[in-house]
Amino acid sequence: MRMFRLAFINFRNSFRSYLSLVFSLAFTILVLFNFQNIIYSESFAVLGEHNKEYIDMLVQTVTVVLCCFMFFFLWYATNVFLTRRKREIGIYIFMGMSNRRIGSLYVIEISFVGITALVTGVGFGALLGGLFQMIMGAVSDIAVDVRFGVSWEAGKVTGVLFLAMYLFFALKGYWNITHSSVLGMISAARQNEYVRMPKTVLCAKAVLGVAVLSSGYYLANVGGMLNMMKNLLEAVVLVIIGVYLLFGGLIPLAFQTVAANKQFLYSRQRCLWVNQMIFRMRKNYRTYAMVCIVGICSITALATGFAMKERYHNLINFDNQYTFQLLTNQSGLGEKAAALISGAGDIACQTSLEALSVDDVHLVLKCSEVKRVAQERGAKSDLPEPADGETFYLSHQVLMTSIFNEKPVPVTIGGKEYLETQTIRDPYIGYMQREMGCFYVVSDSAYERLKGQGTTLYIHNYKLADDNDFAAARTALDVLISNTEENFTARVAIDPFDNDLDWGKMLHALCICMFMVFVVASGCIMFMKLYNDSYEEKERYLVLRKLGFSPGVLSASIARELLSAYMLPFVVMAVSAYFSVLALGRLMRTSLLSIYVVSTSVVLVVFVFCYILSVAVYRRNVC
Amino acid sequence: MADEKAGFGQRSQVGGLKGKMNDNKVVEIKNLVKSYGAKNFQTTVLKGIDLTIYKNDFIAIMGPSGSGKTTLLNILSTIDKPTQGMVTLDGHDVTHISNKELAKLRKDKIGFVFQDYNLLDTMTLQDNIALPLALDGVPAKRILEKTKELAAAFGLEAQLRQYPYQLSGGQKQRGAVCRALITEPEIIFADEPTGALDSKAGKDLLHCLRRVNESGQASILMVTHDPHCASYAKDVYLLSDGVMKCRISRGNDRKEFYSRIIDLQTSIGGDFA
Repeated sequence: MRMFRLAFINFRNSFRSYLSLVFSLAFTILVLFNFQNIIYSESFAVLGEHNKEYIDMLVQTVTVVLCCFMFFFLWYATNVFLTRRKREIGIYIFMGMSNRRIGSLYVIEISFVGITALVTGVGFGALLGGLFQMIMGAVSDIAVDVRFGVSWEAGKVTGVLFLAMYLFFALKGYWNITHSSVLGMISAARQNEYVRMPKTVLCAKAVLGVAVLSSGYYLANVGGMLNMMKNLLEAVVLVIIGVYLLFGGLIPLAFQTVAANKQFLYSRQRCLWVNQMIFRMRKNYRTYAMVCIVGICSITALATGFAMKERYHNLINFDNQYTFQLLTNQSGLGEKAAALISGAGDIACQTSLEALSVDDVHLVLKCSEVKRVAQERGAKSDLPEPADGETFYLSHQVLMTSIFNEKPVPVTIGGKEYLETQTIRDPYIGYMQREMGCFYVVSDSAYERLKGQGTTLYIHNYKLADDNDFAAARTALDVLISNTEENFTARVAIDPFDNDLDWGKMLHALCICMFMVFVVASGCIMFMKLYNDSYEEKERYLVLRKLGFSPGVLSASIARELLSAYMLPFVVMAVSAYFSVLALGRLMRTSLLSIYVVSTSVVLVVFVFCYILSVAVYRRNVC
Repeated sequence: MADEKAGFGQRSQVGGLKGKMNDNKVVEIKNLVKSYGAKNFQTTVLKGIDLTIYKNDFIAIMGPSGSGKTTLLNILSTIDKPTQGMVTLDGHDVTHISNKELAKLRKDKIGFVFQDYNLLDTMTLQDNIALPLALDGVPAKRILEKTKELAAAFGLEAQLRQYPYQLSGGQKQRGAVCRALITEPEIIFADEPTGALDSKAGKDLLHCLRRVNESGQASILMVTHDPHCASYAKDVYLLSDGVMKCRISRGNDRKEFYSRIIDLQTSIGGDFA
């Protein structure tokens, strides 16, 4: 009981210094809770069971990513916490406490931090749960049925996940303390002394860092789709290693070179803050690298979200090119069908074209016909004419794929081998193109040659002017459906109100959410690190004040030092994220440059906010 | 009040008896009182001190533990404020000026040497020495010249590129003196400057301080409990129970001066550790 009381007094007295840790943990818990709340609440049930299942699956995937992030974040935060506490708890040794009792004291004290964070996170999560669902619904353009209330299941899952990880790190800290030497704990206070790293080591790290990072950028962007997919994992690993080496080698080397130039160093407050940066870089480079990597993840997540959104819209647009499609062996059915549809509602667009059914598996289209249909529909077509002996496969849009076969493959049509040189993803035949997957475009001359080997079929496409006429028009068209040998007519009706793919909208919202989580997390990590540094710097600034340096001079030096601390990870992150977004854009076949600019600007705004806050807190702590 | 064993009353009247010209005054303290604690529960540490320090003075202040030495030094060096009385530094009453002016005065007129050196371990010795001028906007060329000049005078040229952790205690303290001197202050306040040094390093440092003083670079006020250290000063003031008990002057023989300090310590009694 006395231990419990002592731990509580310690926690209460040091609460202000734990505040950044509690806040960061509570934020992570809040996010995790709100995602769980989506699964356990019925807000997205309005989309139907099918969509809800997909959304739950997506949220579970995000939960796994969040848990991984939380694991590393807890690892980092509890390490920082332990290092700080070690210095103080080392004193308990002189009070006659055993390492085991000190370890227990640490576990109880850190448990107070964890429980406070959990209660705060879940509490605020429950309060903001409805708002979070509304935002998710609004961002993903889904009309959710928001219900304010606490899902106990969500709270339970969040609590169990967090406490399991937290307990692991608390016990790790306990093990660390019980296995630390007395000297180790006492000297933790003196580990603030700078030991300069040899220039040769820094040079080697710098060269290696630049080489590894460049290789990562290169691998991510070299070659075609297949190459890029193959290289993705290697590129990610290389960029992570490269960033660490950059912060451990090139940047300290650059600062040391700058510090050697006394003409530069002895101007403004550089003598103070450049030297401080060199000193801090040795201890903080891992943190800067981590912030940078989390930042790259955030920008990439947002770019992925927007690419997914574009993909989703393309997918919907692809399917909804036409409201009705007929495939028939009867000539002259087009106008009859048009008349039936017109009886129910106006037709906005109507196209027809011929197709050759060859070998019963291929529907061959004439290139000039395909282009004509696109023009009639008002779409721009840059479809080139296939060379003789070549064919283009009419494929469809997908949300995600890992298949990128770019090599021309041979296709046998009518006994002749054609080389399939292109896969076309433009919606020339709309829904039918996706569903049937057997359309091949050949040159006009090749088409004429194939005419004798296949059966001519007619494709008629109609787009309704008003989607509300869909049901009536579909019923009217039913009379045309026939499946006899002489009269084959198939009808495809694409329901404009179908919401089967609505879960895809959620991808975009989830990616935005991940972006925000990562951005805030990177800002929090930086803030927390600098907040702790300010405590270590207290004595140094006391000396400077004693020496007569005015608070204004010291404040300016702090502002410059912290600006560098935030700017360095930001610059490296911005450059790395550019290559990552570039690679993603190529993979997704879209330009994400504007998304890159927007997301980098958002990260900058968050960093500027954290920077201003850090400077204010740092000044308050040391000046 | 006579030079030795004089003025045992509540107020020491040590300063101003030298008959020096007023315009040579660097520091002047009048009726300095410092109390700590809440109303009705106050402890008075300094009980009405008068002291004047003139240009080229080298004063050592000795006293038993708790006599008020550090409090006096903190007030003189403008780190602390007095409860009552006047402290004039280079003609400015430091009790009635803004914090900004106080910081400027501290930066321009005072040099500090601390017991534990207080060199910044984040920078080389050269940068430590140069820091006050670098932060004051002095051209880099001038800073480099002055740093090298001082390092040469204190035998630290070879150590300029080294970090504090690579230096001996004596080298660190000489570096601290260089840092204190680089702004060409009127006075150096030294708080137990040899406290963390071995006897050889302590002796070297005291020679350096005496040289600085004799060459007219700065007046020195040193707080110490060590009679040997105090014997390097021109005058030794004995502070006890918040009042200046007496002052003794060196004359020409340092060894004889040292004996007199020991005698004085014995007669006063108390813990001088």
